[in-house]
Amino acid sequence: MGLKDDLERYREVGEDRRQDLAEFIQYGDLGQSRGDEVRIPIKIVDLPEFAYDQRDKGGVGQGDGAEPGDPVGQPQPQPGDDGDEDGDPGEEGGEHEYYEMDPEEFAKELDEQLGLDLEPKGKKVIEEKEGDFTDITRTGPSSTLDFERLFKKGLKRKLAMDFDEDYVREALKVDGWGPATVFEWARGKNIPVSKAWIEDAYEDVPSSERGAWDTIEEMEANVEEEDAPTRIRREGVDEIPFRREDERYRYPEIVEEREKNVVVVNIRDVSGSMRQKKRELVERTFTPLDWYLQGKYDNAEFVYIAHDADAWEVEREEFFGIRSGGGTRISSAYELAAQRLEAEYPWSEWNRYVFAAGDSENSSNDTEEKVIPLMEQIPANLHAYVETQPSGNAINATHAEEVERTFRDSDNVAVAYVSSPGDVVEAIYEILSTEDNG
Amino acid sequence: MSTDDRFAKQRIADDLEEPVQEAGKLARRLGLTPYPVNYWVVDYDEMNELIAYGGFQQRYPHWRWGMQYDRQQKQGQFLGGKAFEIVNNDDPSHAFLQESNTLADQKAVITHVEAHADFFANNKWFKMFSDGAPRSADGEGRDRGPDAAGMLARHADAIREYMQDPEIERGAVERFVDHVLCLEDNIDQHQPYSPVETAEEHFEDIEGVDVTEQLDELDLSEEVRRQVFDDEWLDAQDDDGEGVSFPAEPDKDVLGFLRKHGMAYDEDAGKAVEMTDWQKDVLEMLRREAYYFAPQKMTKVMNEGWAAYWESLMMTGERFAGDDEFVLYADHMAQVLGSPGLNPYKLGMEIWEYVENTENRREVVERLLRVDGVTWRTFGDVVDFTEVQEHLEPPAWLRDVAGHLDELDPEDPRVDAEGLEAARDGEFDVDRYPWKVLTYEGLAQRHYSLLKPQYRGFVSRVGQEGLERVSRYMFDDARYDSIEEALADVEYTRGWERMREIRESHNDVTFLDEFLTQEFVDDNDYFTYEYTHASGDYRVTSTDHADVKKKLMLNFTNFGKPTVVVEDGNYQNRNELLLTHQYNGVMLDRSQATAVLKRVFELWGRPVNLLTITKEFDDHDIEVAKRRDREPEPEEVGKRLRYDGDEVTIEDVPWSDVEHLAATDIDYNTKPDEWLA
Repeated sequence: MGLKDDLERYREVGEDRRQDLAEFIQYGDLGQSRGDEVRIPIKIVDLPEFAYDQRDKGGVGQGDGAEPGDPVGQPQPQPGDDGDEDGDPGEEGGEHEYYEMDPEEFAKELDEQLGLDLEPKGKKVIEEKEGDFTDITRTGPSSTLDFERLFKKGLKRKLAMDFDEDYVREALKVDGWGPATVFEWARGKNIPVSKAWIEDAYEDVPSSERGAWDTIEEMEANVEEEDAPTRIRREGVDEIPFRREDERYRYPEIVEEREKNVVVVNIRDVSGSMRQKKRELVERTFTPLDWYLQGKYDNAEFVYIAHDADAWEVEREEFFGIRSGGGTRISSAYELAAQRLEAEYPWSEWNRYVFAAGDSENSSNDTEEKVIPLMEQIPANLHAYVETQPSGNAINATHAEEVERTFRDSDNVAVAYVSSPGDVVEAIYEILSTEDNG
Repeated sequence: MSTDDRFAKQRIADDLEEPVQEAGKLARRLGLTPYPVNYWVVDYDEMNELIAYGGFQQRYPHWRWGMQYDRQQKQGQFLGGKAFEIVNNDDPSHAFLQESNTLADQKAVITHVEAHADFFANNKWFKMFSDGAPRSADGEGRDRGPDAAGMLARHADAIREYMQDPEIERGAVERFVDHVLCLEDNIDQHQPYSPVETAEEHFEDIEGVDVTEQLDELDLSEEVRRQVFDDEWLDAQDDDGEGVSFPAEPDKDVLGFLRKHGMAYDEDAGKAVEMTDWQKDVLEMLRREAYYFAPQKMTKVMNEGWAAYWESLMMTGERFAGDDEFVLYADHMAQVLGSPGLNPYKLGMEIWEYVENTENRREVVERLLRVDGVTWRTFGDVVDFTEVQEHLEPPAWLRDVAGHLDELDPEDPRVDAEGLEAARDGEFDVDRYPWKVLTYEGLAQRHYSLLKPQYRGFVSRVGQEGLERVSRYMFDDARYDSIEEALADVEYTRGWERMREIRESHNDVTFLDEFLTQEFVDDNDYFTYEYTHASGDYRVTSTDHADVKKKLMLNFTNFGKPTVVVEDGNYQNRNELLLTHQYNGVMLDRSQATAVLKRVFELWGRPVNLLTITKEFDDHDIEVAKRRDREPEPEEVGKRLRYDGDEVTIEDVPWSDVEHLAATDIDYNTKPDEWLA
């Protein structure tokens, strides 16, 4: 069906045209996305055409009692706007197109674009899963019996035990040879025959035939010994000697499955000095980080902590919008984070990321005396501090610097500076590439 | 398709056979002359596919169909995918019914479709297209309409074959199709389609050499020479040594021009080379499709309104929907007409009703003005409109045919004698099909618009001006002694006849221009809006009908797109292409224009230019405007966009270069004068 191809091609075209990921993170509309689905606007989906400038064109609307000067909101769809051959009533004009990707795809894309290779660590053992049936034991349920192995063993055994019965019988016809002589002879020729068999066979040789050969040399010259494979090929295997000792039962390998858990603690300064612009920069930096980690790990949980002089936990929806008054004491947030992590996200089971953002302002000595020790105490894959300072540095805003200075040689603490949306991708790279991958 | 599906569709098709036949007959009895229509029952997915393909089963491979399908599906999730109708301008027409529709919906679609098929068959803009082959007459000597499904399928095959050709890169074909589609509205839709001929091309190709010499070599008779290659033509070919400038007149058919003179840019050779055969072929096929679809775009309001009008008349007026289906139908209709924004169904149907009413009123007024003692001055005082309404009232048997079957006179011109006899013999159910007993005249009077409850005051609302205009052209102005006598002569068919005339000759532009009156605009609460710099958003600017009309016209003239023409194919004597934007006061979307220009380069093979006029606002003016709540005055500036295959340059040009592009007699701006700073 042709349309399937067309749809496929459209998806590809959409892929080509969607907003460049870096551009999207820095300047795009993040609000259209949800936690589990990243929606990236597609630049121009349809082909260009000579068209009027939308603003300059104006339009016609319909409504009761409209007076010149009344605002009309967004332009209403105009007849003939859609340019389709068929007129469908109720068609919405001017909608935006989005390319939808899930966090996994987002993480993959970001890896590609930024050259990251964050390998999530498995932590908590969630189950001992049965792996492939590669181990073997000597006992087990018959359904796991490795029959192929049993058969091969049996066949080998058969080949090893098999001999040319007729050939041995001929030897018994040599003049003057009895079972004992023939057994000696057979042993010498490596024919796997038992003495008992020879004795039985000797009984069966009719007396008229005894002494048919004068010497063993004469017999050997006239009768050719046939080897086992040739004989089996000719006659087939009438019986494979299965032995209990050949039985093997397959057994599944035990694999320890470790779930890749991650908890991300987002901490944000919501004090009076964090104005609109700074808040937006935090959102721009944190949101892609959240998506990324969500895409990387099997199970991601998020803790959002807002703080001024005190810290409290909030929902994601509120997190980026809150603004309170009051001073700033960053350690309050780390105290809460430590508490939350210890209670619910033990380091033995969870990967931990602790991201904090603010304008680097802190109450005096708080950074040095409390925050830094706390950061050292909280085990985590990565600690990060993002300074959002649209207007460059402010006096007293030294938190980021202090943290950076202290942890310069550490491979699990990152400090990033964001003063405009253009810095966001750089900051994300800085943070994600810091993690100790050893 | 599984057997079950096929049976289900067959069952639906069986149920629809009678409605289909009867709708066709009813439409014809109402004075319509549709193409024969073949109906197909399709399932939801098939319907979506058809919609994506613009109503046809086979189209050339292109991602845009996929996009439409994707949208259609997403939309279907919200709307439940109900009652879509597709009918193709094809002779016979093909219409598609979705199997999940209710019977009421199916009937609505069928009546709607019959009216579309009538529009296709009779509107002159549709008649301008033929697929290049001469139109053949069918058995009855009727001109055959287009075989669009066949044409589009052939195009699909041809383009697919090019894509599969190992000698041709698939991506190259796809890109080429994209380039051409950017210009699909840049054709001359007011001219009949004619394929670009190779012979013509050949002659055009000889530009640049001394044409006179070549003509001498052709050894033509002096007479032929004078007729075909007149001096004017020769002069144009040989423009005082400045090189050849063509076309002689700006050419609106940009696609046609590129088909004739376009080249391809050869990346490796770094120069323009002749288009390959497949490129020429694809270009011409897409151009042909653009011409085929143009009439539908040009008559959307008229055509949808026409279909909605007749659908409503048949479904409601003639009770084509059964009693039990009627509520469903009314619901459906309300949904279609009630969808937000300016919808073509509603706008079109209202204008058609307005046309019908005004023509019927004109007939009544003309009769009344012929009554002794009635003049345009005394009209309002002398005429008792209640009396007028009473006299226009049809006899009871016309309203209720089944109830008066015994009283009907087979000799009455409004009665179909054959139908009457059949009804009396019980050959059909008169309750269901009363119209079978009536003629066209009978039906016209039965559905006379001025008697509908909502239009009862229409006659009395005729203005002095209108009356005077009517009376000015009347001669024997005293023929009737009484109003009753005058109204007995009223021709009830006049409204429908006028409607049919208009559906033959008009397109949306002329339709709106002629019939969108102040009365209409007021009745429907239309207003215009503009972007205002003072407030930074869109504001209502006017409710005046002239303004509303002006803005509406902008949406319909030239597909609602700016007019861009080829002005010179040898611009500055450098073989560059010069396109010009015929500026009507509304700017181009410059970023799109730039993108299109890059596509045009691919079809021209050499640098391309676009002359346009833009409005520039002084920052200071905008500041002042914001403070004073006044609109700043823009300065109009000529611009030339140029793309040479490498980079786009935009530069200001002297006003004299673009002066000829600016239309002085049109103004689409509806901002009140007092807003201007």
